[in-house]
Amino acid sequence: MRMKLNVLLAVLLVFVLALTGCSSSSSSNEESGKVVLKFLHKWPQPEYAPYFEEVVKAFEKENPDIKIKMEAIADEPIKDKLRVILGGNEVPDIMFSWSGEFARKFVRADAALDLTPYLNEDTAWKNSFIPASLQPFTSNEKNYGIPLRFNGKFFVYNKKIFDKYQLKAPTTWDEFIQVLDTLKKGGETPIILGNQGPWAAIHYLTGLNQKMVAQDVRMKDYNPKTGEFTDPGYVKAMQMLADLNKKGYFMKNVNSSSHDMGQQLFAAGKGAIFYVELEEFATVENNMKGNWGFFPMPSIADGKGSQSFITGAPDGFIVSSKTKHPKEAIKFLKFLTSKENALKLVKQIGWPSPIDGATNPDTALKEVAEGVDYMKKAEGMAEWLDTDVHAKVADVYLSNIQLLLDGSKTPEEIIKEVQEVAKQVQSEVE
Amino acid sequence: MANNSPVVNANELKKIATGSSKLSVRKVKDRIFQSAVLLWFGIFSVIIIYPIIWLGLSGLKSNADFFLNTWSLPEEWLWGNYQAAWDAGIGQFFINSVFITVVSVVSVLLLGSMAAFGLSRFQFKGQNIFLVLILSGLMLSPQVSLIPLYKLLQAVGLYNTYWALILPYVAFQLPFAIFLMRSYFLSISKELEESAIIDGCNILQVYRHIILPLGKPIIASCALLTGMNVWNEFMFALVFVEDSSLRTIPVGLMNLRSQLNTNFGIQLAGLAISALPMIIAYIVFQRQFVRGLSAGSVKG
Amino acid sequence: MTKTFRNSRTAILFISPALLFILFFVFLPIVLNLYNSLFRWNSFEAGRVFVGFEYYGRLFKDPVFFTALKNNSLYAVISLIFQVGGGLIIAAILEDKLIRRFQPFFRTVFFIPSVISIAVVGLLWQLLYNPEVGLVNGMLKTIGQSEWALSWLGDSKTAIYAVVAVSQWQYTGYMTMLFLLALQKIPFEYYEAAMIDGASKIKTFFFITLPQMKEMILVGTVITVICAFKVFDEVYVMTNGGPGRSTEVLGTMLYRAAFRNDEMGYASTIGTIIFVITLTLSLIQLKLGKSGKEV
Repeated sequence: MRMKLNVLLAVLLVFVLALTGCSSSSSSNEESGKVVLKFLHKWPQPEYAPYFEEVVKAFEKENPDIKIKMEAIADEPIKDKLRVILGGNEVPDIMFSWSGEFARKFVRADAALDLTPYLNEDTAWKNSFIPASLQPFTSNEKNYGIPLRFNGKFFVYNKKIFDKYQLKAPTTWDEFIQVLDTLKKGGETPIILGNQGPWAAIHYLTGLNQKMVAQDVRMKDYNPKTGEFTDPGYVKAMQMLADLNKKGYFMKNVNSSSHDMGQQLFAAGKGAIFYVELEEFATVENNMKGNWGFFPMPSIADGKGSQSFITGAPDGFIVSSKTKHPKEAIKFLKFLTSKENALKLVKQIGWPSPIDGATNPDTALKEVAEGVDYMKKAEGMAEWLDTDVHAKVADVYLSNIQLLLDGSKTPEEIIKEVQEVAKQVQSEVE
Repeated sequence: MANNSPVVNANELKKIATGSSKLSVRKVKDRIFQSAVLLWFGIFSVIIIYPIIWLGLSGLKSNADFFLNTWSLPEEWLWGNYQAAWDAGIGQFFINSVFITVVSVVSVLLLGSMAAFGLSRFQFKGQNIFLVLILSGLMLSPQVSLIPLYKLLQAVGLYNTYWALILPYVAFQLPFAIFLMRSYFLSISKELEESAIIDGCNILQVYRHIILPLGKPIIASCALLTGMNVWNEFMFALVFVEDSSLRTIPVGLMNLRSQLNTNFGIQLAGLAISALPMIIAYIVFQRQFVRGLSAGSVKG
Repeated sequence: MTKTFRNSRTAILFISPALLFILFFVFLPIVLNLYNSLFRWNSFEAGRVFVGFEYYGRLFKDPVFFTALKNNSLYAVISLIFQVGGGLIIAAILEDKLIRRFQPFFRTVFFIPSVISIAVVGLLWQLLYNPEVGLVNGMLKTIGQSEWALSWLGDSKTAIYAVVAVSQWQYTGYMTMLFLLALQKIPFEYYEAAMIDGASKIKTFFFITLPQMKEMILVGTVITVICAFKVFDEVYVMTNGGPGRSTEVLGTMLYRAAFRNDEMGYASTIGTIIFVITLTLSLIQLKLGKSGKEV
């Protein structure tokens, strides 16, 4: 055994030396004359990654003096990695960011580059975006992010089940409740909700908050420096959500089923309605094959917020303030969001694009195009609650929403916690 | 017939009679014990084997099948899932994982057995302080060391290389390995050592020719345990390396997961493939855990 | 009384390489961590604000901290009973000559769960515990105990126990293997002597087996307690501290503070507390167990 161990060690030593040689050459930064851009995005999955690889290749062909080093990290891990690497000196030039507060905290920390001058000098580029998609990436009237996708949240429904009870897509909340009641009385499960990951119910609350609370009040509260959350609309919103569950309009045990499971249950016809994002429409179509329709969150009669907002948000990229090659970074972003590549995005992946006109019935599912139209016509977007408020406030909502749904905490108790944390946050944010 | 020479004395007859009934009582007790144990262990085994098989089979299902018929056999046996999992999440990362794991394990075994030797076969003042110092390495949550280690690795220019992973892995696995090996080395009889030294061996030879061979079982288990931890480690592998040419399997498998759109069949297939090398390693190393290897050499 | 006669210099020579590694890559961050806990900072902001022991004060006033402490302690106690206690008993039984020929099979089967990554184990048990389609409730209903068919991970009262149970499933076999190694080292003569004296199995277990295994048992308890207070992956994957904060542990508190709430200083504080707790408990155990001294 010892002889073998010695031989093994010797072989390993050689192996190690050889490989160290290889790996150090791959980490050399500047090849002579070329500008190297580091690009970090959040889609490593085999359905999405090829799109980015193709776009990068095409860009490098057109710009032989620029090389792009791309890294793709999924949803949850990217939140971890971003926080670790932002403190170092290997910050990516272009990196993924959600809009809203998530992006604004980078702005506050001076980690994001101000893109306003670049947008203003190329008005054609600026105007190619649907305005509502640029807005959530702004702070103090300045643009800091470029959107890649523009998601909205809609209720999809099983046409067969609706037809069975002669139901139509509701436009007001009262109509909505009537639809749910009819379904329940008929023995169907009205709404499928997979809230094992609490963001699912948070998306409901996003829309409810926006519709119940006046816009200026809500914007003041969502701003970490001035958040108070004293408007009764917040409590009412939570109450409405809890009531939906109390009256049995949601399926059983929402907190124990994941959103993926919900998707399958809906596909199998085990429920009539499911709340999804535009990017999921393709999956829904795959599963339902035409047997479905959709409608946005219905308007609420006594809500003080604008009833024509749609819940949803863009997500895309920010540029590091520490980048040594801002012009090249912008060039790449322009390429990524050109009409040509936007059309490619929609056709190849089925995502809704923020480029005006890219999402149309020729390139995408007609429902996706219709959804984007809704968003264009809307007065504004209600961005996801967990990315629109300060992380600590979001944390309170996220950790309590499951308890709200299973009845162990009341809206009044929850809002008290929110108010306390909001106060704490006020003093911490400069 | 005389009274004093029967073939079997009456008392002895009684003794034998009760003796044999004692024997049969003992036998019955043993049977009960054995059956009870086998029953309980059998139940435990089912609780373990069933989910393992489930893992392998679920990798063959489609998403709908997975969520709606979670516990039954696949409706359609999608062997393609395993291929897809390999292509997307494992294939290119396999060599990296193997290399990093092997180098880390060998380093831990080498440095760890030396330290365990020093801590167990000697008596000197302050040896417990060393033990505590080493043990305290176990008490650090890896998450708080992420940022300091990241900055450290960048400062010494090792970021984004194999060493960025190997060195921290070795450092974090050493404390447990040393603690474990030390406890085993402590039970190795001192007589062997002393006779060897009287015969003229120096310390290094004692280490190599007596302790290491006798410690094979624990060294094998350390190899396995360290290997397991390094093979499955995710956090460091995510943050300390960014080139996909250096990526390891756990991070590669993350590629298969997304918030809204995971294909669970493929993901589970990937996880099953990733678990296989470790299971094989266990079965291989298991041969070291056999009684008799150690007992023999003490007597010799 | 045999005295070892080598000098400490040789010993230290053997220990140094490992020690240096640990000092550099682990100890340094521990010290840095303590330093970091005195500031308010996060990774992407340039400056840091000195806040002294403010975070420690905040931690001790935070009700979630006490929930976490309770959960970690629960973890420790239950793991000691099942993994260490249970592991010992299983190992002893497996070594018994009546069972020994089945040992390789059971030993392997019991050990396998520890080899599987937590990602799989977490997903598996989330499905097993699902109140509608999960096997746990399915089993309970078949044996007629449907009042027990609860929402295991979704109910704040049962969630932490459900999570702890999974760890026992995963690691009891691991402990069993370690104990088997130590058991097999016990010279057969000791048992022979006991048999001649007519000692029962149980007596043999307590008076011969256990004392001979003292060092390994100590390894078992120290490791189990440290892991119970450091635990993160299991909870994160299955419940992420929820529902509400009922399954929160120190590890998840730390992670959330560092990587979601951008309060690295608070995270460092929690990390320091974990270190202090595990250090104290380990020292106590080593002292009580008289580690290193002959039996």
